[in-house]
Amino acid sequence: MIELTVASQVKQTLASLKSIHAGLQNLAITSTDEETKRVFHENMLISEEIINDVKSRIGELEFEEPEYKGF
Amino acid sequence: MPEWVEVIIRSLAIIAGLFFISKLLGKKQLSKLSFFEYVVGITIGDIAGTLSMDTNLNLTNGIISIAIWVMIPVIISFISMKSPSFQQFIEGKPTVFIKNGKIMEENLKKEKYPLAALLEQLRKNNVHHASDVEFAILETTGELSILLKKEKQPITVGDIKTNVAPVKEPQTVIMDGKIMDEALSTTGLNRRWLKEKLDQLGVAVENVFLAQVDSYGQLTVDLYDDKVKVPEPVEKQLLLSSLKKVEADFELYALQTENTEAKNMYVRNRKKLAEMIKTLTPFLQG
Repeated sequence: MIELTVASQVKQTLASLKSIHAGLQNLAITSTDEETKRVFHENMLISEEIINDVKSRIGELEFEEPEYKGF
Repeated sequence: MPEWVEVIIRSLAIIAGLFFISKLLGKKQLSKLSFFEYVVGITIGDIAGTLSMDTNLNLTNGIISIAIWVMIPVIISFISMKSPSFQQFIEGKPTVFIKNGKIMEENLKKEKYPLAALLEQLRKNNVHHASDVEFAILETTGELSILLKKEKQPITVGDIKTNVAPVKEPQTVIMDGKIMDEALSTTGLNRRWLKEKLDQLGVAVENVFLAQVDSYGQLTVDLYDDKVKVPEPVEKQLLLSSLKKVEADFELYALQTENTEAKNMYVRNRKKLAEMIKTLTPFLQG
C-alpha cells in the first residue's frame, strides 16, 4: 500500500466528517419527533465546527508539504 | 299490498334504523358493556326483530318503543359523562380482590365470586402463583385487572437503558402500489423525496406493495415480487460507525503531530466527537 502523507490522510477524515454532517442534516430534516430533530440539528452544528478546524489544519499542512497541494 | 312486500319494507327500514342507532350508541366493545347496556341492546334487537316480522304489530308503537329504549341509555351516558357519582351509581364500583398480596375473602363473598374463578382469571392473565400478585381488582365489566409484584414484572426498555430515544408511529406511504399523499405530508415529506429513496433502493413505485417511513425518515418496503432482495436501511448505523472512525483518526493525529497547537486542536475535537457519539448513540442504534 502506498504510504499516505499526513495531509492526504487528514483530507480523508475531512471527507468522512462532511458525510457525517450531511447525514445528520438529512436526519434532522426527515425526523418527525421534535426532540430528535433538535438533537440531530445541534450535533450537525458541532460537526460544522470540527470541519472548520480540520479545514484550517489542512491549510497549514499544505503549506508545510506544498508538493501535495490539491491532492 | 301483499304481506311479504310489507315485511321486506319493514325489514329494510329497521335494518337501516338499527345501523344508525348502533352508531349513536358509540363504539364501546361488546365485552366492555355493563350488564345494563347489554340488556338494553338485546331488548332493542328483540323489538326490532319482532317488528320487522309481525305485520299485525302497529309500526308506530314499535318505533316509539325503540326510540325510548335508545333514548334512555343515551341520556344516561350523557349524565354519566357530567357526573362521576351518577356514573358510579349506574356502572357500580370495581371491587378489590387482592391487596398487598393478600386475597380479600370478604370481597370475594360480596361479589359471589368463587376462589376457583379468581384463580382462573389469574391464569388467563398468565399468573399461576397467586403470591405473584400485589393487587387485583374486579372491574365493573367483570374483567380482572392485575398488578404484579415488582420483582415479578416483565422487564422494560426503561429498566435497562436510562436514555431511550423517542419513537413515533410509522407512516404508511405506499399501499398496493399507490402513493398515500396524506401520510407523506404528515411526516413533512413529499413525492420527490419518496422517488429519490425508491431510486436508491432500485425499485419503481408500481412494484411496491407496502412502504412505511419511521420517525427518522427511513423507508422500508415490501415488494410484490418476494424474490427480490431489498437492502435494509443502514444510514444510521453507517453514520455511527463513521463517527467512531473519525474519533479514532483524531486520536491518532493527536499522537502523530509534533505541533502543540495542532495537537490541542485534535484533542479538543476528539472530545467533541466522543460527546456526539454519546448523545447520538440512542438515536442511531436500532
